[in-house]
Amino acid sequence: MKLKKLVALTLSLFVVSGFFAGCAKKEAQQPATLRITMGLGEEEWKVMREDIFPAFEQANNCKIEAIQVESGDVIKKLEAMKQAGKMEIDLIAQDNMALAPLVEKGLVEDISEFRSRIPAEIIPSLVTVGEFDGKLYFFPFRPNVEINFYNEAKFNQYGLKPPTNWDELLQVAKTLKEKEGVGKVGIKAVFDGNTTVQLFEFIRQAGGDPLVLNDEGSIKAYTFLKELWPYLSPDSLKADWNTTNRFIAEESMYLAANWPFGVNVIVKDGGKKEIKAYGGFAGPVKASKVLGGDVLGIPVGSPNKELALKFIEYLMSKEVQEKLASKLGWPSARTDAYGQVEDWQKPYFDAINEAMKVAEPRPNLVYWADVDKALNDALKEIVIDGKDVKATLDKYHQKIEEAKQKAGK
Amino acid sequence: MKSRKFISKLFFYLGIILIVLFMTIPVYILFRVSFAVPEDVLTSHPKFLITRFEFKHWEQVFRSGNLWPPLYKSFIVATFTMVLALIIAAPASYAISRFDRKIKYAIILTLFFTRMFPNVGIALPISVTFLKWNLMDTNLGLVMAHLIEQLPFIAWILVSTFETIPIDLEEAASIDGAGRLRTLLKIVLPVAAPGLAVAAMFTWLNSWNEFTYALYLSLTTKTLPLQIYYYVLRGGFFQQAAYSTILTIPVLIITFALQRYIRSDYLGGAIKG
Repeated sequence: MKLKKLVALTLSLFVVSGFFAGCAKKEAQQPATLRITMGLGEEEWKVMREDIFPAFEQANNCKIEAIQVESGDVIKKLEAMKQAGKMEIDLIAQDNMALAPLVEKGLVEDISEFRSRIPAEIIPSLVTVGEFDGKLYFFPFRPNVEINFYNEAKFNQYGLKPPTNWDELLQVAKTLKEKEGVGKVGIKAVFDGNTTVQLFEFIRQAGGDPLVLNDEGSIKAYTFLKELWPYLSPDSLKADWNTTNRFIAEESMYLAANWPFGVNVIVKDGGKKEIKAYGGFAGPVKASKVLGGDVLGIPVGSPNKELALKFIEYLMSKEVQEKLASKLGWPSARTDAYGQVEDWQKPYFDAINEAMKVAEPRPNLVYWADVDKALNDALKEIVIDGKDVKATLDKYHQKIEEAKQKAGK
Repeated sequence: MKSRKFISKLFFYLGIILIVLFMTIPVYILFRVSFAVPEDVLTSHPKFLITRFEFKHWEQVFRSGNLWPPLYKSFIVATFTMVLALIIAAPASYAISRFDRKIKYAIILTLFFTRMFPNVGIALPISVTFLKWNLMDTNLGLVMAHLIEQLPFIAWILVSTFETIPIDLEEAASIDGAGRLRTLLKIVLPVAAPGLAVAAMFTWLNSWNEFTYALYLSLTTKTLPLQIYYYVLRGGFFQQAAYSTILTIPVLIITFALQRYIRSDYLGGAIKG
């Protein structure tokens, strides 16, 4: 009985101390701590913690506190901190597809005066990604691009080759559906930002402008997608950047585009060595991919702005970019940094570099949400409701124009 | 007549079996994937039964350093939310339950009025206030945020519980010389134990699973649901499953520990003779 009481008392003390431990931690925070947020996978964090951070910490006598925060959540956190007047984050690495709300809400610093700190060797298109209305809000960090994954075993079984143009893509989709009884080519058709990336690529491949939406190229792209739609995997309607990995690994898709982090999930962790990748297909006019990746920004009110700027310079350096390329297979943001990846990663790394050659940034617009919605609504009406392509695109062209005028552009 | 009875019984048990399977199969699949050899499940025809065990995924989760701090934080926060909610709500609910019917329901409705707004809508202003009070990234801040959510529900459950306890019991205690507080502690609360257990379990589980406030108010140490969110977005299929399976273990323990207090005959002894 006494022992029971002792155990209960000890456990209670442990729980109570834990309750207050959270409060005490705050005050123990050191001034020379650089707090940064990134959205990374476990392998990526390991490289950051073991190979990237220590050299900077040693050189600048500081401690880097790196926190995992996804891009969508960065906005929520910064908004709360800014409103409270207590900014606790010094630097953010943010997905370049989710920058507009940060600028619109005034959550990140205008860093135009520090533009000269960008090395001359940085790929120029990466710099424009961080600009809004001619002002620089973000430094380049990591370029990224979707690659096309395919199931080599299944392609060999049916005597198929990865498609290099739209005609071949349609043919592959038709053959796979005929052989398997269900579509096996996937696109991300969840009608949100995931789909927008693919729509941008199709429209540009046909020579169109997604911001115009009813030009010849856009009409060609949507007409092609309408033709392709019946041969696609039914899982396309559930495919986003996360679920696509599962669909490829579980073989409900034999061909689909996704971000390169899928290589680790599908091939390394999932052991699906038959899943290969290539740079993708071209449209009737050209090959085009959307330039994604992460950029670096400084939140308004950052407690360690100067240290954050130093760290940004360090991340853009040749030394770091080469390490990131070699250890993680990330394409380099610099023209003079090359990495040596492990053998198993090489074909995927080549696919990334092949896709990078045709990667184009998306325009930074304050009315981005309207463009995003227009592109997706148009696709929904055309491929699901079967509406006329030209009339539908005219309607959504008008909506984009209205949004543009409303934004004073 | 006998065969009709047999058929209805058969359907009854069949229905129960179906419901049980419906509830347990997803948990089994989670468990199965967490121990799966990749080629057994990453195929268009995955194997349902476990034929080979792979412990690597659990090992990866245990070694990742992403398990113990969130587990500890979630446990501390859920336990304190439960304890504080009971301490605050039990006496309050007891008092409310003894009010006139109209006043009682007016108070309950007022409490629920605060829950009419979705969490996502009010999480930002609440987080801003907590940030100003230096409660960011603290267990205390998260407990307070969770109390906002849980108190109206727990009060509602406990008012219903106390209502069912006859006032005669308190009068009898009073005749025997017990004061108000003694009556509450020695007579009312023990009789209300099943209701208290339900309320405690409900609060603990809700706090354990809470996501929105944790997202706003956590920075360096995450709670378990936030960490699972991370694995779902960034991790492999097997780590997701292993981590999610681990999350269910404390829930099973707490539910098992508290469910023994839940009895339907709790007033049996109290109102006899």
